[in-house]
Amino acid sequence: MLRAIGLTKTFGAQTALDRLDLDIRPGEIYCLLGANGAGKTTTINLFLNFIAPSAGEVQIDGIDVTRDPVATKQHVAYIPEQVMLYGVLSGLENLDYFSSLALGKRLPRERLLQLMDEVSLDAGAAHKRVSAYSKGMRQKIWIAVALAKQAKAYLLDEPTSGLDPQAASEFSSLLKRASEGGVAVLTTTHDLFHAKQTATRIGIMKKGRLVESLDSAQIGQTDLQALYLQHMRD
Amino acid sequence: MRQEMRLLLAERSLWLVSALFLLLIGYALYNGVHQTTLRDRAQAAITTDDARTRADQLSQLGRIMAGREVPSPFQNPADPARMGGGFGAHHALMPSAPLAPVALGQTDLFPGQFKVTYQSKIHFIHANDIENPWHLLSGHFDLAFVIVYLLPLLIFALSYNLLSVERESGTLKLLLSQPLALRTLVLGKVAVRAGVLLGLAVLVPLGVLLLARPESAGAGTSTLWWSLLVGAYALFWFALVVAVNAFGRSSASNAMLLVISWVVLVLIAPVLLNLGVTAASPAPSRTELATRTRMVTIEAMNRYSKLLSADYRHIGKPEVLLPKDGKIEMSGRALASYSIQKQIDEEIQPDLDRFDAQHARQQQLVARYSLLSPAAVAYEGMTALAGTGARRYAHFHDLMDGHHQAWKKFFFPRIDGGIAITEADFPRIPRFVWTEEDARLIDRQAFPALLKLVMPSLLLLGIAAWRLRSYPVV
Repeated sequence: MLRAIGLTKTFGAQTALDRLDLDIRPGEIYCLLGANGAGKTTTINLFLNFIAPSAGEVQIDGIDVTRDPVATKQHVAYIPEQVMLYGVLSGLENLDYFSSLALGKRLPRERLLQLMDEVSLDAGAAHKRVSAYSKGMRQKIWIAVALAKQAKAYLLDEPTSGLDPQAASEFSSLLKRASEGGVAVLTTTHDLFHAKQTATRIGIMKKGRLVESLDSAQIGQTDLQALYLQHMRD
Repeated sequence: MRQEMRLLLAERSLWLVSALFLLLIGYALYNGVHQTTLRDRAQAAITTDDARTRADQLSQLGRIMAGREVPSPFQNPADPARMGGGFGAHHALMPSAPLAPVALGQTDLFPGQFKVTYQSKIHFIHANDIENPWHLLSGHFDLAFVIVYLLPLLIFALSYNLLSVERESGTLKLLLSQPLALRTLVLGKVAVRAGVLLGLAVLVPLGVLLLARPESAGAGTSTLWWSLLVGAYALFWFALVVAVNAFGRSSASNAMLLVISWVVLVLIAPVLLNLGVTAASPAPSRTELATRTRMVTIEAMNRYSKLLSADYRHIGKPEVLLPKDGKIEMSGRALASYSIQKQIDEEIQPDLDRFDAQHARQQQLVARYSLLSPAAVAYEGMTALAGTGARRYAHFHDLMDGHHQAWKKFFFPRIDGGIAITEADFPRIPRFVWTEEDARLIDRQAFPALLKLVMPSLLLLGIAAWRLRSYPVV
């Protein structure tokens, strides 16, 4: 579903991503770990065609992202670290706005309220202006957009950063439910605990290269931490 | 677009800008309709007065010929020198065009009526309307002013941060993670804003005009061109906004760049254009023309001084003023005045022709280089469609010239031959007949104006499309 083949991105003389190969199948949650500047966000940006690759190819559902970016975005939902919605609109209006952009048509009000309910936002919150929302609430709205879109793949960039433990746990549950429904997930994080708890596969990135790719079930929390720190020291 | 509209409606800026724009349009239209109505009423009063004067003169001539009234030397309808001069003068009038209220144009500088006599036109073409000095200083506050000068600023207010604000607030990434091309996003945003502003700029004036001046319903072609011109002018500024946004600078930088562009294109370029045209093709000095007129007048007065100071015997003997066998004796003073004016007319005409030719050359240069300022193109185009521009005034002058020639052709032989004006002559006295300029001329001027706005707009949109391909989303 999400595929990178020899994906490379350079900014001037600096190589941000170096020949990355990834293949994330439906139902998989692939978590990229790495220090700042390791190339995690660059990878996500390349999948979204926010930046053009210097070499290699990115595919979503078999479609080359650079050739037909609009088509690939029909299948993908992106959740950034900071979900910045329109503060002058209510949560429900934001959901209406973005879901209509995602689907090319407006959803009935009942369906929008149902989506709000699915992400645990009650009717009171739905009609409040988003400027009064917490980060976790804004993220839930955005997950509701992803649900409305029925995306086949999720691209998440540090999604739990700054969330309180309860919100992070709720988020992980939502993610797992989506994965069980056949969604392919590529997520980046600094949080080893979150990665171990959520991911089916874990990749460690360093200076633009994927230096380790592991099956999450085959490695313990302590071993993962030791392995990660070893790569960071080398 | 519906979603973008909802977003705009939720923000205060759209309401504020729309309310301000509506207020400006309302005041400009009130001003335009008021000024045009005043002008129309003044012209209607002149027409009525001219008709009544002519009827009175005919009636007076009847009484004189029947011996029931003694003629006065200064107001004798049988005297061709008096009838061809101020006593019998009639007005040449340029009526308001249906769209006149939307652009008062040069009505503050060029009068819409001339009192035509046998005198040289130098004596009546500069007899301007009495104008409010403030209008002369500042120009009229009309719809053309609102559109040409203020509409770009309102476009900036709504769209200077079209993309930059989305990038700065982090929503651009969320928008572009949806199946939506950046160009489509920009197009939707521009379409909504243009729809609101153009809806107000075109539909409100059309509605007001139809109510205030129902005759404007007949000016379909001009109205269509006017709407297209306003649309093309707005397109230019929207294209500039999109091009500036496409470079990916901050909202503050965009605002600064756009305001600088407005100052250059709306305020500085027309002045530079004017200076350039004046330098390339300087007009003969009006002061020199006035001095030359005085010199010619003095020469003519010296030449006819004896006749001018001839004994004025008619006052004591009014029977001399009665026509006899179709002939009439004119007073020495009246004849001298006629001869002086005829000499002035003959000698000053080449200077006037030179003046007109130079003015026409300047107009051609302005038209050719107006491309430098979309504001100049739009303003010239709007005044042309409203019938208050240079072209319709030139047409009026041509008609008035023809009427002046016909007037002189009618009276000169009668004055030279001492032939009295009879009652039968009255219907044959030339009357000024206004004929509207050829409608094809409107198309011929409006189409290039439209092109001059659309071409740079397309260029700007091309630059924007090129820059948007590498727009820094992150």
